[in-house]
Amino acid sequence: MRVLVVEDEAKIANALRQGLEGEHYDVVVARTGEDGFFRASAEVFDLIVLDVMLPGRSGIEILRALRQKGSPTPVLLLTARDAVDDRVLGLDGGADDYLVKPFAFPELLARIRALLRRGRPDQALRLQVGPLEMDLVTRRVSRGDRELHLTTREYEILQYLMRHHGHLVSREMLAQDVWKETARATPLDNVIDVHIARLRKKVDPDARAPLIHTVRGVGFVLKEGAP
Amino acid sequence: MSLLRPISVRTRLALWYGLAVGIALIVYAGVVYAFFRASMLEQLDGRLHDDYEAAEHAFERAADGGLRWTSDYHDPDATTVEAPWVEVSRSGGPVLLRKPAASDRRDAPFRTRVYTHRLGDEEFVLRVGRSERGVERELRELLLIFALCLLPAVVFAYLGGRVLAQRALAPIGAMTERARTITAERLAERVSVENPRDELGQLAIVLNDMISRLERSFDQLRRFTADASHELRTPLTAIRAVGEVGLGERHDEAGYREVVGSMLEEVDRLSRLVDGLLTLSRGDSGHLKLDRRPVDVVGLAREVTAHLGVLAEEKRQSLTVEPQEPIFVDADALVLRQAITNLVDNAIKYGPEGSAVNVAVTATREEATIAVTDQGPGISDEHRERIFERFYRVDPARARGGVGLGLAIAKAAVEANGGRIEVRSEVGGHSTFRIILPRSSAKV
Repeated sequence: MRVLVVEDEAKIANALRQGLEGEHYDVVVARTGEDGFFRASAEVFDLIVLDVMLPGRSGIEILRALRQKGSPTPVLLLTARDAVDDRVLGLDGGADDYLVKPFAFPELLARIRALLRRGRPDQALRLQVGPLEMDLVTRRVSRGDRELHLTTREYEILQYLMRHHGHLVSREMLAQDVWKETARATPLDNVIDVHIARLRKKVDPDARAPLIHTVRGVGFVLKEGAP
Repeated sequence: MSLLRPISVRTRLALWYGLAVGIALIVYAGVVYAFFRASMLEQLDGRLHDDYEAAEHAFERAADGGLRWTSDYHDPDATTVEAPWVEVSRSGGPVLLRKPAASDRRDAPFRTRVYTHRLGDEEFVLRVGRSERGVERELRELLLIFALCLLPAVVFAYLGGRVLAQRALAPIGAMTERARTITAERLAERVSVENPRDELGQLAIVLNDMISRLERSFDQLRRFTADASHELRTPLTAIRAVGEVGLGERHDEAGYREVVGSMLEEVDRLSRLVDGLLTLSRGDSGHLKLDRRPVDVVGLAREVTAHLGVLAEEKRQSLTVEPQEPIFVDADALVLRQAITNLVDNAIKYGPEGSAVNVAVTATREEATIAVTDQGPGISDEHRERIFERFYRVDPARARGGVGLGLAIAKAAVEANGGRIEVRSEVGGHSTFRIILPRSSAKV
């Protein structure tokens, strides 16, 4: 999977390159708007991560130009301002998704995965991570041969974690995607922590082989073995 | 008027004053002149009548059938211009007698009276006249006197007006000087109020009120800036310290994970803080875009308690919402829900284990009230006023998580929806936060 990152800030660009390469993406970084537009026009990418605030040509101009040329490549916009105008402008300009800086890296990864998955509808009726199984039709969850009795909320959280298994899930992602909470200032962190603690009691009653791991300062990850 | 605008108020007032006095004097002079002229002419007419009476028996038929003056009739002041002039003629016929005989003095402004007189069986016309020159001269003198007096009077009035205006406006000058010295750094000073009942006293009071409000908001801003920089610096200091110490020591992988995770936690706190500030500043600048439509507040309250219910469960608190029936207000549901969330979150946070948190929605015809009551320690008077300020904490030593913006955001959110927020509390007792919103006009 080839990803073009158009970002002028050196530190962010490098972090994105490293982080994405760590997830086995093939990353090309462009540091100016012109360079980004040139590469996006000349080469083939599966996805473009585009900063809005660029020296020279703004990300939105590049996006418009690309869409005018008929480029179908999915574009994820990074906006520094939490301004509605920017989002509207970006989505009108043909962006497929946007992320407000400062963003959590796990969230960026999740969005990228979602964009790359798009067009291939998720037909799964069952989710499985190691001994953990979830039947999406009957809503039955079991670990090994032990059935788990989950509340609706716990079921939704576990489903989200299982869909992103092996990947970090931040509290913000849970708040946004499970609670559908858009305002970032709403205090849901404690609520999420309580739910995760309860879920963990049910999923990982013995501490020897836990599946739900807390990654300090980032969020949670569902996977077998060490986080 | 626009031409006069650049001139000072004092000069303008004096000019108006002078103008008013001038107009009054001109009107007065006009009236006096008219009366005086009428009375002079009346006097002249009286003298003409006297002249007629003197002349009416002063002519007789002469021997030749003509007319002649009687010998004893003579004009007393025949030599002066002021002398009367008498003419006798047959009606429609030529002049028969004239006195003084020499001239037919019709050059000057002349006032004549015509009488008829019967002598024997014949009717004669007597024309008596006197010059108006004397009257005119006197009227002209009167006008001259008026004119000579008008100018000094107007100048005097102007100067007097200036002095008056200066005296009246002197307090404004003093106020201006005083206000000029009151800057952002010296907002504790006030304009002096000399007489609180007159207009200038009122102005001074209004100015002082304004300065007080400015002082309060400057104080708030100053506190806010100090608090904000403190709140921003705390996580930065932590990040720096953890990073520096982490780099200085050798760790295994888990150790480094611990260091980075600890730094990320602080980053999280920092982002949350910036998000909160951004929300507030958007409210301040009026950029908060509201989508106001009828919203069921009872439903919103239930949604919030469903979200936060687990927190209450953890503390074995009961969390209840009353009543069951929906109550509608016009509000932006998302923004209002955030306000309710912050209040309920606080109530759970500050209520002791096993206590009760109640959300009661009541309504009158005009207003709906959402009251969130906890059984926490209560809030003393000194804190109650400032509890909605940004970063204000009742107990700074025991900052219980959060960034200290919850109530400020709740207040901004409620006010953006046209409502108000209040707190009632007893020390050692319960606290009740009330959100009061205007009712929805549409009944759904």
